[in-house]
Amino acid sequence: MSIFENIKMALSSIFTHKLRSSLTIIGIIIGVGSVIAVVAVGKSGEAMLKSQFVGEKNTIELYYNPSEEELQANPNSLLEASFTFQDIRTIENISEVQRIVASSSERTKVSYKGKSTNGLITGVSDIYMEVNQLKVSSGRMLLSRDFFAGNRTAVVSESFRDELFDNDEMMGKIIYIESQPVEIVGVLKEEKNIFAFDSNAIYLPLKTWQSIFSSTAISEISIQAETPENLRLAGEKATNILNRIHNKEDAYQVMNMEEIADGVAKVTNIMTIIIGSIAGISLFVGGIGVMNIMLVSVTERTREIGIRMSLGATREQILTQFLIESIVLTLFGGLIGILFGTGGAMIFSYVAGWPSLISLPVIIGGILFSMLIGTIFGIMPARKAARMDPIQALGYG
Amino acid sequence: MIYLDSISKNYNLGGKQMKVLNSVHLQIKQGEFAVIMGPSGSGKSTLMNILGCLDRPTSGDYWLNNKVVSSYEEKELANVRNRSFGFVFQQFHLLPRLTAFQNVALPMIYAGLPKDERSKRAIAALKKVGLADHINYFPNELSGGQKQRVAIARSIVNQPQIILADEPTGSLDTTTSRQIMDLFSMLHGEGTTIILVTHEMWISKYADKKIFVRDGIVTGSEYKGEIST
Ligand SMILES: Nc1ncnc2c1ncn2[C@@H]1O[C@H](COP(=O)(O)OP(=O)(O)OP(=O)(O)O)[C@@H](O)[C@H]1O
Ligand SMILES: [Mg+2]
Repeated sequence: MSIFENIKMALSSIFTHKLRSSLTIIGIIIGVGSVIAVVAVGKSGEAMLKSQFVGEKNTIELYYNPSEEELQANPNSLLEASFTFQDIRTIENISEVQRIVASSSERTKVSYKGKSTNGLITGVSDIYMEVNQLKVSSGRMLLSRDFFAGNRTAVVSESFRDELFDNDEMMGKIIYIESQPVEIVGVLKEEKNIFAFDSNAIYLPLKTWQSIFSSTAISEISIQAETPENLRLAGEKATNILNRIHNKEDAYQVMNMEEIADGVAKVTNIMTIIIGSIAGISLFVGGIGVMNIMLVSVTERTREIGIRMSLGATREQILTQFLIESIVLTLFGGLIGILFGTGGAMIFSYVAGWPSLISLPVIIGGILFSMLIGTIFGIMPARKAARMDPIQALGYG
Repeated sequence: MIYLDSISKNYNLGGKQMKVLNSVHLQIKQGEFAVIMGPSGSGKSTLMNILGCLDRPTSGDYWLNNKVVSSYEEKELANVRNRSFGFVFQQFHLLPRLTAFQNVALPMIYAGLPKDERSKRAIAALKKVGLADHINYFPNELSGGQKQRVAIARSIVNQPQIILADEPTGSLDTTTSRQIMDLFSMLHGEGTTIILVTHEMWISKYADKKIFVRDGIVTGSEYKGEIST
């Protein structure tokens, strides 16, 4: 008898008892669903972290983190300029480094025609806007001539329109930062990401920023490389050089991806253990449920088994029939579980703003796993059916 | 074709051995129509089940087509049931969730016949028993006589050598019983060997040969027109 015949028979008997079948597979649905959800959420969390620290543009931030002793000797060291133009030139020479993004920020008062508010003024190098995926909704971006000449041009966030301009046009208007005039040439497109807070942001060329604040400080540097591996190497080399130039011991640092990944892994592992045990318990209970229902079904269908045997079914064929029935049953549970699991994970990722990933291996794994449950818990009832005596099964004796 | 050599069947009842069949010798030739008669509890069904390879004798040899099938393995027995025998029972024994057509096709599924062949043969068998109009009916939509016709169609689809019928008219009224017996008669006419258990004298008139069983012993057999031995 072909597997196809068996599956057809299994489906007909499962659909004959719709309510019973659906109640039976609830445990399997919950079990498989939570396994799928955990794996999917874990994966998208990982992807989120990677994109947050490395970004799509494959960049990594260098930062200045003075040691305890240094802080005690010079409590102001945190506030002092971290990087210089000289540093940038040196780092640019590292072979793995593709480009450097530099910026400095200062929070200060911004005014227009007697009105004023606070803003975060960031002086940026030419590729900063591109790397951080900032776009304008009207006007224009900062151009290379702005960077080259240190023009007093700025791109500002939408929020100023309300705070300084009475909701009026702000393009081309001159605002004052530290009593120095700057022309608005573009308005930033608002970020959709719920984690983004870009209110009252002003971006202008780094040169302009330095002239406004009469400082040569560069507070942040990110380096960009071709590949993640090069990025790691570039980060290492850059911090070594910086520490040597500035005569510091490990004060210049780069975000250590592995450390972060380990930290995340710890959290995800705890989550995996908790949900994994919930899943494990529900799969076990679900499996027992399937076994129980299959035993009931075998008993109810004793006569059917006898008839089939009288028509020439072998014991193996009876075994296969009931085994396939329990596998099809748990497969249904698995498929519904996969649907709920991926659905849940996608909703979670969407709400959290993480990239949502549907991984084919995970889905295939879920399918195979649910079939395995059906096999393990179906074998006992199926053997019971196969071992029946045809005469007794037919109702004689 | 069939030869039972000193077949006995014992049941263990509360530690006591109960002899249901006691050293039965029996011979049935190819193409015969035999009825088995005897009082209730005499061992007729037990004998039929052994003949149909549904049950094994406690001792003795069962020869079928010059082979000792009583020593066959399970798998071979299933194959013999599938190919050599067709069963018809008093309680019809149709699968309630399958249509008449599907019930009739079942033995061919176990025989591994391709789908086209199965459906061709199933329809032909249902036509033969006069149920061409009831192919897609479920058992609970059929009368007792119609159910038994489906069972007979099912018993012939694998073109068995022998049909075993244990009181096939036991649940039917006389008119219907007559129609069913006419069907067996027709199958016999086509060359199928038929072994049928009955209590009724009028039914035994269809047979070439009568076998009498009492208390697990074959007490006699007679051919048509012959005087009991
Ligand atoms: N599995 C069994 N265990 C114990 N005793 C059994 C078993 N099967 C049958 N018997 C006994 O064997 C005897 C013969 O039974 P069998 O069914 O062969 O009789 P029968 O001739 O077919 O009777 P009936 O005409 O009522 O159908 C009976 O006494 C019955 O109680
Ligand atoms: Mg009987």
